[in-house]
Amino acid sequence: MADSGGSERKGIDRELRRGSLELIVLQLLAPGEAYGYEIVSKLTAETNGALEVTDGTLYPVLYRLERAALVAVRWETPERGVPRKYYRLTDAGREELIRLTHEWSTFAKAMNKLLRRDREAK
Amino acid sequence: MTTADDYITRVVGHMPGATPLRAQIATELRSHITERVANGQPLDDVLRHLGDPATLAESYLAEVPLIPASFWRRAAAKLVDILIVLAPILALVAVAWRAIGTVNGFAFPILVGSTAIGGPLLFGILTAIAECRTGQTIGKRLLGIRVVRESGARISAGQAIVRQLPMFLQIYWIDVLFSLATDKAQRAFEMLSKTRVVRVEPDAGR
Repeated sequence: MADSGGSERKGIDRELRRGSLELIVLQLLAPGEAYGYEIVSKLTAETNGALEVTDGTLYPVLYRLERAALVAVRWETPERGVPRKYYRLTDAGREELIRLTHEWSTFAKAMNKLLRRDREAK
Repeated sequence: MTTADDYITRVVGHMPGATPLRAQIATELRSHITERVANGQPLDDVLRHLGDPATLAESYLAEVPLIPASFWRRAAAKLVDILIVLAPILALVAVAWRAIGTVNGFAFPILVGSTAIGGPLLFGILTAIAECRTGQTIGKRLLGIRVVRESGARISAGQAIVRQLPMFLQIYWIDVLFSLATDKAQRAFEMLSKTRVVRVEPDAGR
């Protein structure tokens, strides 16, 4: 029984992370276009490492956003070095960012209210 | 030590050839690794951050919805494959019949028997080789469908063989009936081998 509870907790954690990663990446792209490495660096810098994700987690999210047409891409080849793939929000991506931000705020407010009630009861 | 190219080859090698944007994924990973290394990070560290190649490939593949190929599309693909394999077999049988039919009275039942046993065996072997190498037989390629693991990754040689066991055991038509009733339209031996036949994405191969 303990095992199944543990794996369930892991599952919830994974789903939360998966859901919030999309919002995080869309938010990081809101000011303007960026390429993969730049997005990872911005995420680490802007959250002081608190929301750090592995590179192997970020790229599949970018892939998902591209396939869903929430971001548009362009390739740029510097004079020296390998081509970079730049991502920018599409109109659909901006709408999705607004929707996810609203969802996240509602969720966070509800959770805070619930946890506060629990603390007050103690 | 794993080189960047080894790593990328392993990631991409885990993906079926028809994975959308497969070539772009390789280029982007190469770009990312190059950039990190140029910024002074050791290659081993960079690759560790990207994670196990198979896991990374499956993370990408998890973003590609697997749409089951319809029964009729699969049947049409199978028909094409059967015709392709059957034509030379029948030609061979005809030649053999002409050569030995007149001198041996048992030639006809022997030829029919060996074709009935050898034909499905040969068909199963050729199908297993094609599906293991590219995920597609000629028929599947023409009909825009492919074989993948349940995760969307390329199938292994073992899985390709298990998929063909009903053909070898001559119970294919019974096995096919399962695909009419299962959730993901899988044959019984596809469920056993943890494989599926799915539609190829329209932007595949870019």
